[in-house]
Amino acid sequence: MTYEEYLDGEPVVITAALTGGIQGKEAHPELPETPAEIAAAAAAVEEAGAAVVHLHARRDNGERAFSTERFQAVTDAVRDATDDVIVQHSTGGTAAPDALRAEPLRTDPAPEMASLDMGPLNRGRRLTSENTRDTIDGLHAEMRERGIKPELEVFNNGHLNESFRILDELADPPYLNLIFGPGTLTPPSPANLQRMVDQLPERAAFNVIGFGPHQLPLTTQAMLLGGHVRVGLEDNSYLRKGERATNAALVERAVRVAGELGRPVATPAEARDLLGVVSRR
Amino acid sequence: MACPHLDYRESDGERSFDTARAFCTVTDEFVQPVHADICNERYGLDPEADCEVFRADAGLDWDE
Repeated sequence: MTYEEYLDGEPVVITAALTGGIQGKEAHPELPETPAEIAAAAAAVEEAGAAVVHLHARRDNGERAFSTERFQAVTDAVRDATDDVIVQHSTGGTAAPDALRAEPLRTDPAPEMASLDMGPLNRGRRLTSENTRDTIDGLHAEMRERGIKPELEVFNNGHLNESFRILDELADPPYLNLIFGPGTLTPPSPANLQRMVDQLPERAAFNVIGFGPHQLPLTTQAMLLGGHVRVGLEDNSYLRKGERATNAALVERAVRVAGELGRPVATPAEARDLLGVVSRR
Repeated sequence: MACPHLDYRESDGERSFDTARAFCTVTDEFVQPVHADICNERYGLDPEADCEVFRADAGLDWDE
């Protein structure tokens, strides 16, 4: 993906991260938690222009859930409520054992895409999401076995090295998600985004996440560099300072930005072609 | 097992929820879902080792 591809008018894939697993309704009353709420949010973002929904599962009280059964409830509700949007399951989970991390891959049908965290990151004083190479390879092997397109979560530029380690095992295009934010994430700046993009393999496609106030500027830059974008309440609670967002409002804004930049917004079918995703709809 | 400071409440007096949520009686706030795994000692997590609020309330330094 390059600036030249932007100039050529290649469609931008918008992913909506609807819920996450870190914060919940105690932080944002509109954040969807139950399968029904997540499904309603998925329908709204598909209508707004999202081609992919990134899903986590939660208990009824908002707490994290990793079981196949709970992901099945979420994905069934989302598939019923949407037309063609691509379903992507998270396999992330700070402190959760590897056996649980694989459970979201085992729904029927399998998710079309899944996240694959490419290395460690810290949370709080003592929590670390380890994401050892053993964990990465185990999750990746199961994704390949089940025909699931991995989205490589690059939390910092050391994780580019980890991505290069498995590059030969990845079908075209390898899809890397460049993540910018606090702590062990890449520090958010336009220069850092450009440097990360400059280091990507030629055959790769990339997506960008900017946490909080960095969501709008860095996803806008990503569109100019020929990349794809992720928005949504998992990553950012506000449209602007003091104004809470909804998932649909964040997607609508991304669509407006793409329109101003002259970048078409990919339908789910176009996104499957661009990213090499096998349809399960 | 669970943290002695953990309570499940539907309301904190200002906000109410359909399902009772994890509430910290030290901070008087609902806790983040990811932090509730520490409160509930899931996945080998432990309030005494991993929770800033528990340790501060107990007067524990991080090097203890």
